[in-house]
Amino acid sequence: MKAVGARLPRYDGLAHVTGRTTYVDDVRVPRTLWTKALRSPHHSARIASLDTSRAEQHPGVRAVVTHEDVPKNVYGHLEALGVPGDEPLLAEGEVRYRGQPIAAVAAEDEATAREALELIEVEFEEREPLFDIRKAFDPGAPTVHEWGPAFPHFGPHDHRRVRKGDVDAAFERADTIVEGVYRPGAIEHVPLEPQVALVVPEADGRLTIYSCTQAMYFSMGVVAQHLQLPLNRLKFVGGTVGGGFGGKVDTASETIAALLAVKAGRPVKWRWTREEEFLASSTRAPWHIELADAVTKDGWILGRRTLTLHDAGAYTRFSSYGLTKHAFHHSGAYTIPNVHFDGYVLYSNRVPTTAMRGFGVTSVSYAVELHMTRIAEVLGIDPFELRLRNANRIGDTTPNLVVLKDPSTVPVMLAAAERVGIELAPEYRAMTSEPRSGELLPEHLAGAVSRTNGKEAG
Amino acid sequence: MARHRGRGVATIEYPTGMNQNGDPSQAWVKLKPDGRVDVFAGTVDIGQGSKTVHTQIVADTLGVPYDWVTMDNTNTDSSPVCTGTFASRGTFIGGNAVRYAAERARERILDIAGKELEIDPSDLEVADGDVVVKGSPDRKLSVGDVAAAATWTYGELITGTGAALKPFAEVDDDTGAVTEEPHAAISYAACVADVEVDDETGEVTVLRLVQVYDVGRAINPTLVEGQIEGGALMGLGLGLLEASYPYYPSPEHRGGEFGAYLAPSMDDLPELDNVILENPSADGPFGAKAIGEMANNAQPPAICSAIFDAVGIWVTECPATPERVLRALQARAEPRREGKRVIFDEEISLRRVASKEGVAKLIDGG
Repeated sequence: MKAVGARLPRYDGLAHVTGRTTYVDDVRVPRTLWTKALRSPHHSARIASLDTSRAEQHPGVRAVVTHEDVPKNVYGHLEALGVPGDEPLLAEGEVRYRGQPIAAVAAEDEATAREALELIEVEFEEREPLFDIRKAFDPGAPTVHEWGPAFPHFGPHDHRRVRKGDVDAAFERADTIVEGVYRPGAIEHVPLEPQVALVVPEADGRLTIYSCTQAMYFSMGVVAQHLQLPLNRLKFVGGTVGGGFGGKVDTASETIAALLAVKAGRPVKWRWTREEEFLASSTRAPWHIELADAVTKDGWILGRRTLTLHDAGAYTRFSSYGLTKHAFHHSGAYTIPNVHFDGYVLYSNRVPTTAMRGFGVTSVSYAVELHMTRIAEVLGIDPFELRLRNANRIGDTTPNLVVLKDPSTVPVMLAAAERVGIELAPEYRAMTSEPRSGELLPEHLAGAVSRTNGKEAG
Repeated sequence: MARHRGRGVATIEYPTGMNQNGDPSQAWVKLKPDGRVDVFAGTVDIGQGSKTVHTQIVADTLGVPYDWVTMDNTNTDSSPVCTGTFASRGTFIGGNAVRYAAERARERILDIAGKELEIDPSDLEVADGDVVVKGSPDRKLSVGDVAAAATWTYGELITGTGAALKPFAEVDDDTGAVTEEPHAAISYAACVADVEVDDETGEVTVLRLVQVYDVGRAINPTLVEGQIEGGALMGLGLGLLEASYPYYPSPEHRGGEFGAYLAPSMDDLPELDNVILENPSADGPFGAKAIGEMANNAQPPAICSAIFDAVGIWVTECPATPERVLRALQARAEPRREGKRVIFDEEISLRRVASKEGVAKLIDGG
């Protein structure tokens, strides 16, 4: 019997729905300490002073950590890709978002840890925050980030560029130019299992880290960097996650719990509250996307100009990666021969945004598809037919010059139309993904089609 | 005051694997003395069922029954590198890693079986747990006997390792151009949303979603449907319900508990009609491409297009909450026409909100 193609049940489904799965919070180790974090109450402030001495002396407290305890406090998720780090594990000198961790306490129980937080003395000098990234470059706008308003590391540029064809000529030649602004908002990941970690210092000197991460090796690398330890000192135990959706690519709880475990010499668990999960964990990024499409009256898209502003929140995390992915997919499932794209990662005083299902592309799919519907409306063309006409085909090239080998925009659209009973005109019903030629290859697309029809691709 | 029905469509594409590649997954397969199979890989199962899918891939690659295969993805000591479960890479890249490892282990099974049967390994194949002589189905040896022979007769461990890695694709920072594919594959989908809009309350109800996905090859159609249906509910949340910042860009009114944040629930689930197309990829395990992330991308624009079809308003700030729908119904904004330009949404545009200097910097490249 073949397993591939079979409707086999999920190996873990029954255990999940009967409560028999062991999640991180179900792991019990004797002498475990419990963690609470002091978080910034301000969107933006200078930290004038920080004194944890009273908290350290509180009965039942076994360790308190601040930035001074972190071997490498500032680290970036994209350092392996050559992007310098920008986010401190624990705030040093300033806070840039409400909920940013400043100090953490490990105590015999959660109530004692909470009491100790009250004894940490911090003086803040509040600053004006920035929330509207459209105003990031206005004169006098608050500065959020040490790098300035925009992420500056797209090679020599402070924005991601895509340039293909001759956009000015396309706009000149167009019958109509349709312009729109799209603002898909931030949402939460809402895992049923909030961020949680248990770190056990073993007798052999290693740390066992029970983790809810979506990426054990990535998270092990993050902990190893902050603690400056070789990988053989760490063992991640995980592989089972109570909902991630991208939010558990952030290594949100493991590193601070590890620091506390090392300092206290005891197992340490850090279990975020539901409120922390909602308010202090990362979100999907909000985006601002301005599209202008040069179209002909019979529904060909000749060119597109795009300006994208990505609201990263206070630190970079994966933002520049997400914006580049967004840029690569900004023509959607269609072939547009002339494009001009500028995308900026801009900082604001909100929680850092991170990966979430569809990262970078969810936003641009929203903008592009709603825009396609608008173009169809403006031109008085059926929205299926407008899309099918411009649908990408084998041998077409994307904005970043990838030759498509096996697109299936046409078949998925035809199947959807059939399923809902839409009667397309015969010329559309007969369409396939086969390479453009003859009447299907209008003159304006000639330069957008690979001469090899994809045969050399890949 | 009335309810109005409308229909909207969206068509999307989505890449498999990390953008620009460079994201390895590795795996190790070994056989116990009775032929049962252990797979070690670091791929985290976040609920999508990757462990089940990887087990299916190993079973068919080796030619043994599914229930002979046990996968251990529990820790970084026994499992080699997996970059992580994100970027829709589990089935394709993690799946290729276990496939390659199983292929190496299969070669070792055939080597040992060849010695036992005194036949050249190239004349052997593995099916349903037996090593069979090609063309002579009666001449066979169970994989269990082969593993026993390896263990007790030849002093060998039948094992195999595999690694999947597509090299990092450099990007030209001036043009965005890449010199090689910056992804492992691309998947495609179309979504048709039927909605009902109440013009008194502004409430939008999704009645039905028809969704077509090309996933290359459905390794496990039930799990693919799970992704499609779970993604539909997340897409509905994105399109209609969820907002970290209900009055973005203001940070006020954030919801810090379930009662104050509208995540979709089963009550919100519309009628779903799922269609799976199989247009196999060249390089994926058994022709698979990804389904994971893209499954929540098509619904928001399809729903907002359907709202226009129903009541003639464009809601271009997501989610389309009752408040936004009612405000748009009150405003009944028309695009401004200037020459051949048709300009929508001016009131939320950068030019309207930012200072002259900000516009000059961001739009005009100053």
